[in-house]
Parts: sequence; structure tokens; C-alpha cells
Amino acid sequence: MKVHFTKAIAALALATTIVSCAKKSDDPVAENPGNYILTVTPVASTAVADYLLTASNLETGTISTAGNGVEQDGTYRYYVTHNNKFFSMLYGQGNPGAVTTYSIQGGKLTKLSNFQTETVQAFAPVNNDILLTKLPRTINATGSTVATWYQVNTNSLLISGTGTLDALAPGNNGEIAHFSWLQQVGTKVYAPFFSIKNSSFATSYPDEAWIAVYSYPGMQLEKTIKDNRTSFIGRYFTNGLGVVENGDTYAFSSSVARDETKFTSTKPSAITRIKSGATEFDLTYFFNFETALPGYYITNWIYLGANNFVAQVQPIAAKGAYTAGIELAIVNVVDKTIKKVTGLPADVKSITTNNYTPKDGKTAYYGVNLTSGIGYIYKVDAASATAKQGLKVEGGTITAVQHLD
Amino acid sequence: MQIKKNLLIGIFIILCSTAYAQTGSLGGTIVDEAGKPLPGIAVKIKNSKLFTLSENNGNYIIGKVPVGKHTILFSGIGLKTLEKTISVQNGAQSTLDAKILTDAQQMETVQVYGRTKAEETNRQAFNVTAIDAKKLYNSTLDIASALDRVSGVRVRESGGVGSNFNLSLNGFSGNRIRYFIDGIPMDNFGSSFQINNIPVNLADRIEVYKGVVPMWLGSDALGGAINIVTAERAGSYLDASYAFGSFNTHRTVLNLGTTTKSGFTIQLNAFQNYSDNNYKVKVDAADINTGAYAVDAMVNRFHDTYHNETLIANVGVVNKSHADKLLLGVTLGQNYKEIQTAARMVAVYGGFHTRGNIIMPSLKYRKANLIKGLDLTLNANYNLGREKRIDTLNGRFDWYGNFKPIGTNGESSRSLYNYQNNNGLVTATANYAISERHSLALSNVLNLFNRKGYDELRPLNTADEAPKRTNKNILGLGYSYAIRDKFSATAFGKYIYQNIVTTNTGINQPPIEKIGYGTALTYFFNRNFQVKASYELANRMPEANDIFGDLVNQEGNPNLKPEQSDNFNLGFSYDFAINKIHRFGINANGIYRYANDFIYTRLNSNQSKYVPDNRDGVRTYGGDAEIRYSYKNWLNAGITTTYQYLQNMQKVEAGYTGVSPLYLDQMPNIPYLFGNADVSVTLKDLGKKGNSLNIGYNLLYVHEFYLYWPSLGQQKYNIPQQWAHDVNAVYSMANGRYNIGLEAKNITDAFLYDNFSLQKPSRAFYLNIRYFFNKNRN
Repeated sequence: MKVHFTKAIAALALATTIVSCAKKSDDPVAENPGNYILTVTPVASTAVADYLLTASNLETGTISTAGNGVEQDGTYRYYVTHNNKFFSMLYGQGNPGAVTTYSIQGGKLTKLSNFQTETVQAFAPVNNDILLTKLPRTINATGSTVATWYQVNTNSLLISGTGTLDALAPGNNGEIAHFSWLQQVGTKVYAPFFSIKNSSFATSYPDEAWIAVYSYPGMQLEKTIKDNRTSFIGRYFTNGLGVVENGDTYAFSSSVARDETKFTSTKPSAITRIKSGATEFDLTYFFNFETALPGYYITNWIYLGANNFVAQVQPIAAKGAYTAGIELAIVNVVDKTIKKVTGLPADVKSITTNNYTPKDGKTAYYGVNLTSGIGYIYKVDAASATAKQGLKVEGGTITAVQHLD
Repeated sequence: MQIKKNLLIGIFIILCSTAYAQTGSLGGTIVDEAGKPLPGIAVKIKNSKLFTLSENNGNYIIGKVPVGKHTILFSGIGLKTLEKTISVQNGAQSTLDAKILTDAQQMETVQVYGRTKAEETNRQAFNVTAIDAKKLYNSTLDIASALDRVSGVRVRESGGVGSNFNLSLNGFSGNRIRYFIDGIPMDNFGSSFQINNIPVNLADRIEVYKGVVPMWLGSDALGGAINIVTAERAGSYLDASYAFGSFNTHRTVLNLGTTTKSGFTIQLNAFQNYSDNNYKVKVDAADINTGAYAVDAMVNRFHDTYHNETLIANVGVVNKSHADKLLLGVTLGQNYKEIQTAARMVAVYGGFHTRGNIIMPSLKYRKANLIKGLDLTLNANYNLGREKRIDTLNGRFDWYGNFKPIGTNGESSRSLYNYQNNNGLVTATANYAISERHSLALSNVLNLFNRKGYDELRPLNTADEAPKRTNKNILGLGYSYAIRDKFSATAFGKYIYQNIVTTNTGINQPPIEKIGYGTALTYFFNRNFQVKASYELANRMPEANDIFGDLVNQEGNPNLKPEQSDNFNLGFSYDFAINKIHRFGINANGIYRYANDFIYTRLNSNQSKYVPDNRDGVRTYGGDAEIRYSYKNWLNAGITTTYQYLQNMQKVEAGYTGVSPLYLDQMPNIPYLFGNADVSVTLKDLGKKGNSLNIGYNLLYVHEFYLYWPSLGQQKYNIPQQWAHDVNAVYSMANGRYNIGLEAKNITDAFLYDNFSLQKPSRAFYLNIRYFFNKNRN
């Protein structure tokens, strides 16, 4: 009996140990303290959290999420930097959005506070605030259809004001004005929008562009600036405006207005202008993107200074309402020139849409994610229209590149 | 794969090649001094290994007894051992009845050979644990909390009474575990009748199959099964209990029934649960106006009331020539449930709730020896119940109960959705005993689901809603070979067919067809030492709620693939005693699993709901162990512990070419080390003869685990280590006829967490009163 018993235990012990005990053995990549913040999402599309990493230099070295980084609760997050603070915002449809604020102390992220806002579809720095707007997608059969706005004070890190806007007023066409983004221009808030009938984002007005102009902080609708030379400005979650040094505002249209099933705009992807101090489009300025860079349209841009933008571009054949281009081009809006950026790798999976520029007119740092799952920061030089591989990022997809002093 | 097939074939050959000698059989009835049948009496043929136990009606039978004269020993706890002789003829059954007298001197020892049904279950080839529910009748436990005390089992609840639960068994969870009541799948019972609201008093025992599930349960359970075996009491009985306690909790259970001499039977089970569930939680409570968080604020849950009322009635006949049991029944019930939070506690609701009801006619038929050796069981039911999702307040609540109107889209998603799942179930099982040792089983389970609903607030959204329909059929064939108390083996195969309809266009996923098979073996070295091994190629099909969601906090995933896994289990159990007063029981099991398209629950990208999803591969190894100790007949103690390591084996993520950084990482948000310990003391004849006091203590431990992938990040979200202490005392009078119980749960008021760091109830006290009466007609 005793023999049997020992045998059985031995058999059980064997069974539990023969299964290989191979655990992960990562070569750890050390922390990289510094003033650059990179946000990284693990390549697994699911059950993941974002990680915030720091780096001292974007042009060289390696960083990794393995054992490093500040875990963010959830991955559907948006990041914005303002007043030398870094805001990590959770986008949770129907849920309150938690916002965590960080500063950088000695090269490390230091949590300043947590506060709660609503899930919003557009947010941007205005004065000392971040202005957030939550937009409706269905028109109420009775009663008003409203958008809600929140002003978050970046000193107190609390909601300092809130109110509602009539979502049908800016378009005045029976459709909802869904802000593509918000941009402070002088003392006003410019809100370019796309017009939607319902939650499938269909419109009956594909060949018009609008910018709703609001006072600040009162958020009174002062005017809607209209243009019929392009389709709507910006895209969902994308800023289509850029204000240059002389105060002129430039606007791009991707021409992605649609009905229930297809793109319907007859206008080309193009750049237009509102002169400084004016409240109408400058009808003397029109820059057809599709003729300047044949076969391509613009999906996103950031302003570097000196009238230079870096644009993410995509072949028109691959056009999508929410896609971001995986090629880059340098756009000078005054000279009306577009140069494709060379030096990017061949196997690009995605390019980050939230990137960093020191606003020197020349330089931008882009997150470039490869199909292998490895990411690199590429330094884009506007003068030569080239991109150069820099910092290597392991363990995920780069979703934002930011900097705090 | 080839090896597995050969192994199966080999087992078949070995089992079928047993030689036959000249034998007869021996049977009879065992009664006590008063002529009452005695179950669990050991019947042994002296100088042989032949042995059996008497059934509930006192009957026993031993087959394959060599021809000739034999001495038979009858023994049982607290009874004098009886010796009788008989001669056995070839091919005939000899009758030998016995009357056994009480042995007053032996009374104080705990049971040795006589086994309850629950213990008998534990002796099957499958890796199975049976909970003797009768021992818990004086507690306020529901089935789910009783299960939480079994080794390898972890019940994860999202809150208090009536909250959603998810049971994990040896690393498998969710719908990999199937629930049965008397062998009938509970898949379609709706929210009014689930293991988290069925009181433990409804059950005689609860069988927990870990890993391989016996064929007669005929399901696509992959990780295991829970079978609730309801009490079948003879004569007339009445069992009534009422409990009340913290958080305004009230529970009532009433079971009554009678069986006439002519075989007419009527059974009634009624139960009710009510709780405000307004326990304290520690949260970061945001100010609804400024957004400022009050960190670690202690607040009471304010919108979590749950109640359900259920009545089960069965009428029919038992022990007739055409049927051992033929029951027509109906289950009627309703429930109301307030939803306090979304999948995470950051989103607070104050108006969102659901209602549901169950109207389920059922048919149960059982006949043993329809022709000699053939047992037939047939069950059918159809749930006509409706469920309703109610979310009509446009705005946001904070943790203090303040409300602020926002927008026009309800709290979660505005709706008054009224729906019916139209699910039906038919199961048929035939068992054929070829001879005493060989038997065949054939079973078929057909499951129908067709959700139809209407939203009066959004008629346009639901008018042309896509169909939500799925039908599943599982056909199984099994073969077993058993030498009682020596060896038993089972081999089985299953064919599963499922179709899922989710679009109006007629373009649907092709039907899913899967084959599964497995084997389970057990060997008794002696009466007290048993080894079990099993293997199964198991399939877990997507369930209706996986595909279509539950319309509260679970989102559906129409593209969910079935999970298929290789499951290996190996375990032993060993009982021994020192000086007849210290008794020990040890059992331990090791598991290894490799699952393709592993189904797991994650948060959706908005962090507001759960979604089932697949991982290409997940490997699990682990084990659980249990040690029980008893001293004389008044002290009982036990410790169980479970460890399971689930590893992500998906090497490349969809859309990428490189090795995933999560390859070989441990799966997140799954408890992997946990255990519990319990001690109970019984003081007999306290105060008065026939009265007894039972005092018990239960400890539950769950090791810390990570919310997200363990290898990533430095500052991480975790679910902290947890210790829960429960104590209870039960005073029974008049041999268990009247009982008063007191329970204190979570006495240290520790913070207990579960799914995605949802908090469980704070300290609570309950008082339970029970009356039990059973008049046996025999």
C-alpha cells in the first residue's frame, strides 16, 4: 500500500513538472529617464493597457514596455500636452472619462492628479484651459439636440465651466454639426465640423465646408464661416486647421463626406485659407492637393512653423473615412509646394497621428510602427524632405510622441 | 493525434478482452432493527475482493461471484458486523437479506465504510468532487457560494446577492463550465433561475466535474461541469427556512412534497431572495460638477437592489411499470435587478435596471430496464420567459447618488428593450448495461435559441434588427467498463453541430461541426486509495450570450470561434486513520491543458463592457490539493489550495509579423493562486439529547494578480491579495427538526475584489431559521 502511495505521488509530481516551466525571459531594457513622453499600446489588439514611457533623446537608443512604464487603465486613450502638463484621457463611450495628469520631474513622470470628465469627441488647449466637447449623433424627434462643453482649468485641474450648444445651429441645414476638432484662433474658438444626419455619419451636404466660430469662455456661436469649394474641413478626431506666424489660418479637406454607403463629395482634397482678422474664406487662395501630389490626398497634418506642415498622405484609391496615411509629405502652404518625404521604411504598419515638433519650422518627430511590431521614432527634416530612423521602441505600437519641459 | 487514437483503441481492446468464468450473483435487502432500509452498508465476500455498498432502499447486488459457498460480511458505522453464509449457483441470483443491529460502543466513531452518495460520486473515474449539500442546509448559502469552497473552484461575483457570477474551475471559466440540474443543462433558464439565486437547500448534492465531463451530461463543456442533484425524498417532507441579515437581505426557501403509496407524487420548491446590496465600497468618487475625485472615499452602493421569486412545481408518478419517474412541471419566476455600475466601478448608474421572468414548462421521464439493462432518460423544456432592459434617465449619477442631466442617450444606452430568448431544450440519454461490467451510453442534447425583441424608445433601431438565432446539437456515444471498487474506465466520442444566424442578408457563418473524444480511468489500489486519469479533446462552442450579449454589461461577439483543447488530468485520493480517532483524507490533482482559440473575457475598448474573445493558444498547467482531518466525531478541518498557470501561446498578433511581446506571458486578470481553510466543531446533545451545536470557521485566500499583462509596465494596476474570514454557528434541536443559524461573513471587513477589481460585500451578519420534517412511508 505504502509503495503504491509513493508511486502515485511520484507520478503526480512528474506530471506536474514535465510540463515545461518555460517562463518569459526578456532581456530587460533599462528605463530611459528624460523629457520626452511616448505612449505605447501592446500589439495585441485586446485586453491591453497603454504604457507611458520616457526618453531623453528621440534620435538614438532603445526603450521597451517590458517591465517599464506607467500603466494606463485602458487603451482607448487620448493624450494632450498643455501648460507643461501631460493629460491622459480615457475615451469611454457612455462612461465618464477619467483624466490623469502628469508632469516630468527629473526625467520621470509624476502624477499630479486624477479627475473625471465626460467622454468627448473634440478637445484642444484654449487660453489656460482644455476645452472639451461631447457631441450628439442622433437628432431628437422632439426637443433640442445639444452638444455639451467642458472647460478644464489646467492650473486647478478641475472642470471650471460647463454648458450646452445647439448642435443643429451651426449647420442650419437640419443636420448635426459634428466638430472635427477645436482650434483657438486669436480670442475665438474655431470649430470646423462635418454635417451628419445620424450615427452612421451620413450627410446630404457633401460639398460644403464650415467653421463654427465661438466666443471664449462664453461659448456663444458668433458665426459660421462657409465655403463651397471643398468638402468639410478636418476629419473625425482630426484637426484640419493650422495657424501660421502671420495669423492666417489654413484648413485642409480630405474630401471624405459620405452617405450611408459611399463617398459622395465632388470636391478635391484641398487646402484653403482664412486671412488673419477675416471671418470669411480667402477666395483668392485655393491649393488643390490632388493636383500638387497626383493620386494622393491628405489625412492629417501638424504645423512645424515657417509655413511648413508635415502631412500624412494616402493614395486616393485607399481612401477611408477614419484611416491615417502611412506616407509623409512636406507642405508649404505659402509656396503651394508638396514634397514626399523619403527615408521611411518599407514595411510601415501605421504612423502615429499625435506627434511632436519643436516648432522650429524644420523638425518633427513621428512614431512609425512596423508590421514586425517594432516601432521607431523618425526625425523628419522639412528642408530636405527626409526622415531618419531614431529611437527604437519595443513592446508595442507608438500612439503619441510628446514633450514636457 | 495518432498517438491519442492508438491509445483509445488500445484501451478498448484491453477492456473488451476480459475472460469469463462460471459465476452467479448475490443480492438482497439490508434493514435495521426497526425494519428500515439501511443504505451505505458494506457487503463483502470473505476471502475475496468482491465488495459493494447497499443502495438508498437497502438493496445490494454483487455480480460475478464464483460458484460455491461463501461467507458474507455486512458492516456499517455504529452497527454490529454480521456474518452470514450462502451458496451461489451458476448463472443464478441468490438472495440473502440481512438485519443489522446497532453497536452502541461503536457509535462515537465517524463513518468509515459507509459512504454517502456524495462520497460515492467522488469515487468515479472522472475528476469529480461532490459537495454534500445537506451539510449546508442551515446556512444562507446559494449554490455559487457553496462551490467557492471546493478546491480548484473560484466563484467570481461582481457584487452581492443576485450579481453576475463567473465560475472558474482549474483555470477554465465562463461558459466552458456548464451547469446542470439533475443532468439537464441550465443554459436556457434565464436570469430568474441561476446558480447564484438557487438556495443550497434545493440540492441533495452538487457534483463538480473538473476537466473531462461524463458523457451522460452530454454537453460541450470544456473545462468542467456542475451538476446540481436535487433531493429525492421518499414519503412526505417539508423543509422551510428563512434568513435575514445585513443589507436588508431576506431569503426564504420552502420545499415540500409527498409521494402516495400508489406512486403519485407532487413536489413544490419555492424560494425568494431580496437584498438592497447597499454595502460599503472604497472608490475614487468624482464630484459630478468639478470632476474632482475624492480618493478612497467610503460610499454605500445605492442602486443595487435585487430580488427574485421562483416557484417550481412538479406533478407525476414514480415507480410505475411504464416509468420510474414521469413528471410534468413548470418553473415560474421573476427577478428585478438594479445595475449599480458598468464593467468597471468608475461608471455609476442610478436608474438602469433589468427585469425578467421565467415561465418554463418541463417534462422529465426516466425508466430503468426498459428492456433488460436499458435505462432511458428524456427531458424537455421550453422557456417562454421575457427579459427587459430599462435605461431611461438621460444623465450621470455620482457615487453619492447625485444626478446631473447630460445629453439624450440614457445612462449607458437609452432603451426599453423587451425581448424573449425563445430557448428550448431536449435531452435524451440511453444507457445499456451489456453485462455487469460493460455498458454503453448514447446521448443527444438539442438546444434552441432565438432572441426577438422590441425597443419602444427606439422603434427604428429594432424594427429591422438582425436575427439572433443559434441552434446546437450534441450527439455522444460512450462506453464504460467497471469492476466495482477496483477499476473503471470510460471512453467516449461527441459530434457537435451548431449554426449561428446573425444577418438578414442570408450570408451567415457556415455551420460549425466539431468532433471531440476522451477517456477517463480510475484504479483503486485499495478501498482508501484511488488514482484517476483522464484525457479529452474538448470543444467549447460559443453560447448565445457570447454571440449576442446580455444587454447589460456583456457585449456580444458574433465572430467568436469555438475553443478546442487537449485536457489532461491526473489525480489521487487517499484516506487513512490513526488509532481510529484521527482521520485524514488527501486528494490532489494535476492538470495540463492546451487550448486553441482560447475564449476569455476582456474589457471592450471603451472599458465599459465585457467582451468574449479568442486567443490563438493558451497553455495551462496547475494543480489543486485538499487535506481533510477529523477528530472523533466532533472536529472537522480542511485546507484546499489551487495553483494554475495560464500562459499566452499566441506567438504573432493579428496584422503583425514579429514575435508578440506577450508571447509566453501569463494571462492577465485571472486569479492563479487561491485556497481556503475551514474548521468546524460539533457538540452533540448539548442542552438536551437530540440537540446539537455546530460552530464553523471558513477562510478564503486569493493571491494578488494583475489587471493587465504582467510583463508590461512598472507602475501597474493590480487586484490585491485578499483574506476573507467567515464564521457561523448552528444550533439544531430535536434531531435537526428545528435549526437556528448565525453567520458572520467577512468579519474583518476586508476589501474583497473580483472581476476587473469590482468590490464584493463588506462585513455582514445573517440569521437563519429552518424547520425540517420528513415522514418516511417505509
